[in-house]
Amino acid sequence: MSKPTLWRTPTRLSRRLIAAKQPYRCLSCSFRLAQEQAKQDAKTTHFGFENVPESEKESRVGAVFSSVASSYDTMNDLMSLYIHRLWKDRFVRSLNPGLHPTTATTTSSSSPPQPQTLLDIAGGTGDIAFRLLSHATDINNDTMSRVIVSDINPAMLSEGKKRSLETPWAGSERLSWVEANAERLSMLDDASIDLYTVAFGIRNFTNKQAALEEAFRVLKPGGIFACLEFSKVGNRLLNGVYKRWSFGAIPLIGQLVAGDRESYQYLVESIEKFPSQREFVGMIEQAGFMVPEPAWEDLTGGIAAIHRGFKPV
Amino acid sequence: MHIFLGSACHPTMIAIKPCRALLRPPSCSRLKACRRLYHSYEHHRTPPFPPTESRILSAALSHVPTHGFTTAALTQGARDAGYLDVSTNLFPAGPFSIVNYHLVTQRLALANDAPSTDDVLNNVSQNIKILAFRRLHANKAIIHRWQEALALMATPAHLPTSLRELALLSDELLFLAGSTDVTSSWYTNRGGLAAIYASAELFMTTDRSKDYVETEDFLTRRLEEGEEIKTFIGGVGSWVGMQAGALIDGLRTKGVWI
Repeated sequence: MSKPTLWRTPTRLSRRLIAAKQPYRCLSCSFRLAQEQAKQDAKTTHFGFENVPESEKESRVGAVFSSVASSYDTMNDLMSLYIHRLWKDRFVRSLNPGLHPTTATTTSSSSPPQPQTLLDIAGGTGDIAFRLLSHATDINNDTMSRVIVSDINPAMLSEGKKRSLETPWAGSERLSWVEANAERLSMLDDASIDLYTVAFGIRNFTNKQAALEEAFRVLKPGGIFACLEFSKVGNRLLNGVYKRWSFGAIPLIGQLVAGDRESYQYLVESIEKFPSQREFVGMIEQAGFMVPEPAWEDLTGGIAAIHRGFKPV
Repeated sequence: MHIFLGSACHPTMIAIKPCRALLRPPSCSRLKACRRLYHSYEHHRTPPFPPTESRILSAALSHVPTHGFTTAALTQGARDAGYLDVSTNLFPAGPFSIVNYHLVTQRLALANDAPSTDDVLNNVSQNIKILAFRRLHANKAIIHRWQEALALMATPAHLPTSLRELALLSDELLFLAGSTDVTSSWYTNRGGLAAIYASAELFMTTDRSKDYVETEDFLTRRLEEGEEIKTFIGGVGSWVGMQAGALIDGLRTKGVWI
């Protein structure tokens, strides 16, 4: 009985192999069709896990943030278990904005340095801007530096303006608000900004490389590009817990607190799609920046990361 | 010695063009990534810091006597070099980067006026003393601020970098002095010299004598002690070896199958 089996097996195998080579099977067809479609519409970009035309991403991100603007702070606290405040504090403190107090004591510089102009991109709610101003004022005794807050979304900007009323900088000349797309900052001159910050914003940009190049344009030589963004977790155990939390809990919290599951589903998917630390350093370098050593700083094991770029003179 | 190591690659290979191309140092923007950890006679050393960083840091170092190893010195350095206050963000380690810059540049500077080949072969321990004291002398201008630097170096975040730098310094000193040991004493020599150098550096911060004579004496005494300990350990080692051999032989004569 064993003889025929032994003899037959290779034949079956070869038949199966021939069958596998046949070109037009259902699965491969649909796969190829999908590929062809992607080729035709080359100008697509990520919107969470979806692929959308570039022209559409801006409006869809806009819709997300218009819908979350009012509950933005509560949601951030709940989603990050208040850790986002620590990240933002760390981010601003490590940047040390403001003219340092040595100015008064030394005369070695030929002319006193100009007041700093800080630009906070995608900072509609003013989280970073208020921190920048209070660090410059309270730590460095610098009362001259100015912060320009730019955001593409009017709803977020008005939320920030509302919140600024509770700070000492309400109506102050040191704080101004601009509605602009970070890829086209036409209202800003070349080489006019000392420090460019973007916190949890660059992930949502349609064309990140264009935004980085625009940052390079507006920065003064010697200026700093600083970015705080969600990133990739190195530790596998922490990554498991974190992924379970972000895909399981965050959309649910969004649904319960803000009544908007889709926006928070987009949020976690966009985090997943954002390039890793190393890839992002490559993008910063490609825009012309010099990257210091170490190239980035991981926060909470890499859930977020601080990247910096230096515009060479 | 130079000639010997220089021709480690066969002479005919150097003449062949493709091989030459392979030997050329790689051109890469991230200098730190391709910094060589060995001494090469074939290539020039790549500068340890990119030009922008070294410009700011050397300017900052000149402000250390007045401002100390602080962010203020770094800021002043950035201003002097024609950069902005925020440019100090180029140095995430803050004031420690000035310390590191000083350590690295002074270590590399040792090679510039190293003892000539003839001296090298003559007296290794004398060379070590000369080189170590020369390195200590490089701290002279900032010695009244050096305790701040030591404090920064001892910070847990910077400790690995400082220890590594100390190890590299002790390696450099021994290499330039002409030490060619390849036995386990390679490690003990380097470890011992690192400890002696670090203690001499600490001693120097409180030394008020003219031209740091006391530091020199201190260094000489420690190095002599090191030699004594080495001889003692060597003696103990050979004694233990001798006794063990005798014991085994004795046991064998008693019929133990060893």
